[in-house]
Amino acid sequence: MSDANQHIEAARTAFAEAFSPFDSLDLNGSGLAEAEAKLRELGELKVRHTGKKSALAEAKKMIGRVAPEERSAFGQAVQAAEKEITDLLEKAEAELNEFITAARIERERLDVTIPGRRPRTGHLHPITILRQQIEDIFVSMGYAIEDDREIETDYYNFDALNIPEGHPARESQDTFYTTGGFALRSQTSTVQIRAMERRGVPIRIIAPGKVFRRDTPDMTHVPMFHQIEGLCVDKGITMAHLKGTVTEWLKRLFGEDTVTRFRPSYFPFTEPSAEFDFSCFVCHGSGRVSGEQRAVSSEEGENSERLTAHGSQLTDRCRPCKGSGWIELGGSGMVHPNVLRSCGVDPAVYSGFAFGFGLERMAAMMFNIDDIRHMFENDVRFLEQFT
Amino acid sequence: MNISYNWLKELIEIELSPEETAAALTRVGLAVEGIHPHKDDLILDIDLTSNRPDCLSHLGVARELGVITGRPLKATSGSAAAGDELDAVPFPSVLAPEVVRVDAPELCPRFTARVIRGVKIGPSPQWLVDRLDALGERSINNVADITNYVMLELGQPMHAFDLDKLAEKRIVVRTARAGEKITTLDEVERELDETMLAICDAERPVAVAGVMGGFESGITDATTNVLLEVAYFKRENIRQTSRKLGLATEASYRFERGVDIENLIRASDRATELILELAGGEAADIVDVYPERQPERTVQSADISSAVKRLTGLDVAADECERVLSSLGIERTGEGEYKSPTWRHDIAIEEDLVEEVARHAGYENIKDELPPAFGAGEYQATEVRKRRLRGALVEQGFDEAIAYSFIDVRHDDTFAAVPEFLREGGEEKFVTLKDSVIEGAVRMRPTLIPGLLGALRLNLNHQRRDVKLFEIGKSFAAAGIGELPTERELFTIAVTGGEVHEDRAMPARPLDLYDAKGAVEAALEAAGTAGYEYRPAEVAHLRAGQAGEVVKDGRVVGTFGRLNEEIAANYKFKQPVYVAELDLQTILAEPSEPAVYTPLSRFPSVIRDISFLVPRSLTFAEVRRTALAAGSANLRAVSFVDIFEGKGLADEVRSLTIRLEFRSDERTLTEAEVEAEYGSILSRLKDEHGLEPRS
Repeated sequence: MSDANQHIEAARTAFAEAFSPFDSLDLNGSGLAEAEAKLRELGELKVRHTGKKSALAEAKKMIGRVAPEERSAFGQAVQAAEKEITDLLEKAEAELNEFITAARIERERLDVTIPGRRPRTGHLHPITILRQQIEDIFVSMGYAIEDDREIETDYYNFDALNIPEGHPARESQDTFYTTGGFALRSQTSTVQIRAMERRGVPIRIIAPGKVFRRDTPDMTHVPMFHQIEGLCVDKGITMAHLKGTVTEWLKRLFGEDTVTRFRPSYFPFTEPSAEFDFSCFVCHGSGRVSGEQRAVSSEEGENSERLTAHGSQLTDRCRPCKGSGWIELGGSGMVHPNVLRSCGVDPAVYSGFAFGFGLERMAAMMFNIDDIRHMFENDVRFLEQFT
Repeated sequence: MNISYNWLKELIEIELSPEETAAALTRVGLAVEGIHPHKDDLILDIDLTSNRPDCLSHLGVARELGVITGRPLKATSGSAAAGDELDAVPFPSVLAPEVVRVDAPELCPRFTARVIRGVKIGPSPQWLVDRLDALGERSINNVADITNYVMLELGQPMHAFDLDKLAEKRIVVRTARAGEKITTLDEVERELDETMLAICDAERPVAVAGVMGGFESGITDATTNVLLEVAYFKRENIRQTSRKLGLATEASYRFERGVDIENLIRASDRATELILELAGGEAADIVDVYPERQPERTVQSADISSAVKRLTGLDVAADECERVLSSLGIERTGEGEYKSPTWRHDIAIEEDLVEEVARHAGYENIKDELPPAFGAGEYQATEVRKRRLRGALVEQGFDEAIAYSFIDVRHDDTFAAVPEFLREGGEEKFVTLKDSVIEGAVRMRPTLIPGLLGALRLNLNHQRRDVKLFEIGKSFAAAGIGELPTERELFTIAVTGGEVHEDRAMPARPLDLYDAKGAVEAALEAAGTAGYEYRPAEVAHLRAGQAGEVVKDGRVVGTFGRLNEEIAANYKFKQPVYVAELDLQTILAEPSEPAVYTPLSRFPSVIRDISFLVPRSLTFAEVRRTALAAGSANLRAVSFVDIFEGKGLADEVRSLTIRLEFRSDERTLTEAEVEAEYGSILSRLKDEHGLEPRS
């Protein structure tokens, strides 16, 4: 019996000795690798002191061999020793695991502020963006989109549009000509003629496209630009329909509070003729901007700040409308009877309106672009500003 | 046109403030762009449309103001005693040819001259100097100033000659002789041609008609006898001459737009009156050469009020229509007939009358109405597909470019155009402009590539090394003589540098040929087309061995590849550039391919990946075709896995890995079945291409 007890005592002592490094485990300042090594060590220790070949296992086997009257007490003593050892091991194990888990989380901590991974997205040209927006509006208003040739005969570019020979607009200094004697269309009004010939009347079309004028490029001029032309011919069409239509699409583009202004003007292909303006989308017609609006509406940054620093009055003047409250956009009018006749339409039966405007000028104004030549340089620093 | 507010007040009573006057004029189409103070006066800067030369004078603006305010014009001093007297005694017409002979009446329908003897040339009085100064005119001497003053008042340009400098003291109005020279008032010698109208003395031109007087016959301090010319010239001819000489003057500006042929006598009288008053002298009778009186122009309008309603929707009572028209000088001459004023060249049809009434009734009074519903709107047939194509490219990181349609001639023959576009043989291929505003850029682009390469260059110059651009636009090719050029819409891309990630400073990897090709494939797929074949090709602007063509149903519709060394060197590209250009118009002419559903298989596929060493001349497409042709019943797909070259391999070979997928729709294939088919494919590849699987 005392042999047996001695055996337990020896196992206990041997364990206590081996376990002593773990007894008051202090992981402060330890690294993950150190803790993992300790965990492995602890595992080995556990096998050595609780495994099949351990003194404790030996003691368990001895339970059957001790005298029956002592068996119960011995068994309890073995159990107590086993519990004592296991508890210590589990406690140390738990401590180590906790430390390791924490250390691993720390080691795998990521910087969530690093930009996400996504291929760079490209950008549509500002002219395309604007054209698509305007096309969408007009398609929803029942218009068909049309385009046609960019190199035209004088007939389509001028004669059919009631611009007779000798008219200033026909001067070759304004129009590009090919060596074959054809004109690069100087306005998308050419599409009016081609579309009426093709579709007949009644007709409601919008014609966006490139046009060409012999202007030397500078900040406000380019020899090629884009226009959008609108045409509506039907029985009983009046200038009221022109005004209503122009006002409607501008409202859809710039907001319900947009108002328009029509001023008498002159174009050979319309009679009566009018230029149209709309209330500025930044200052809403007031001509002035508050600081907040300026911050929202203007990308001019440095320039505006510089002016503010100097306390200049200019900072209050609305930029797109130059303080007038109005933005001049395009020309319009009732289709000239000669134009209708060129297309085989009887002006006594049908009437119609047409309007047109330049997209570059509009885009320059909307996006606050200071130099219109940027439109065709294709500088990525420019293009990537538009979405 | 600068208009003096004080001067206006001399012509018509104005109860409006200057600002109200400006607003009222703007409202009727005489756009006042600004009001500038000048001493005790205010100058209105009016932007006039080209159809209103009658308003290039204070009288014309006053007349518009009269319609607005309902007030009559004041009697001007032009009809003062002297004028009446002068008018009353016309020059005996039989004697006229001795002073004035018009040899070109079609270019000069009316010419008046008046001789004033014994004038004293000197400075103008202060009021005249001030008035001209206010309107931006420099004072010269009393007589010259008077001619300018009357032009600004009545709109009629005129010219004063020193009578004694005119050979034989007479005027001949004729076209110039080729090469005839004249030194104009600006002391520039100008050469005339036979199309130009010249005012001549008995020997030589003394003025370029309607444009500028001659230097030698001009008024000087020594002048004592003056011949005052007040004439009407054919508008188109003056415009042409002014353009040819590159000489635009206040006079030519008015003549080419049209002055009032019936206003010459009044203008001459007014000037004469002022000359007599300010320079003294004695006026002779006026010579008026007006062989064919200009016919009266009439406009028919049965019911102007309802015409206004029909075209503008405005309700303007007949009385008010009549008031506006008659105030403008458009008199009703009979039932449904009006007389067009001689100073209005733009009133010819009823619609013109409608505009006059409408602008005075006020465009702001026209209601906003939408036209009655008509039908569904529609995009252009290809627009939806083009939008998808654009969208696909934008997703792939492409920025959309738009370049000028005219390019430099030096690009000729450097770039291959899309097939079946430029004419073959010796015929003219290109469309060329007579001239350009950009040096050298007279060629209408047959390809969009140079535009994009120019843009790449610009971006590289700005340290943007990783650039992907695309453009959709028209290219141009010559057709037969007298035929309109062929226009074709192309889709072109250019890429260089690395694959960029948003917000990350360094590109992930360098771009290569397969990025360009991938973009083309994505674009074509987005456009709803399929069934393209890509094969090696030789393309003028592409590097040999890195060039391909895109083929649809046996027709080449585009090319792609790496820009060749020579062009790259011309553009100073130090990194590879890849381009592709496709005939978008041809591609989109085909309807988009509808999607067709294939039932999902219930049986698993068996995959075999296999690598070969292939010579560089053998393409994946050929290997694939051979594998598919091997007659394997259950081979479903042959796909590309990887290609490897370089390290450990001979230069002339690559290691190609492909994947074979076997599947039956009826049952799960057995290992033996797959092995048998796999084996027959391998032996076919060995027989055809000598390929052995790599272990």
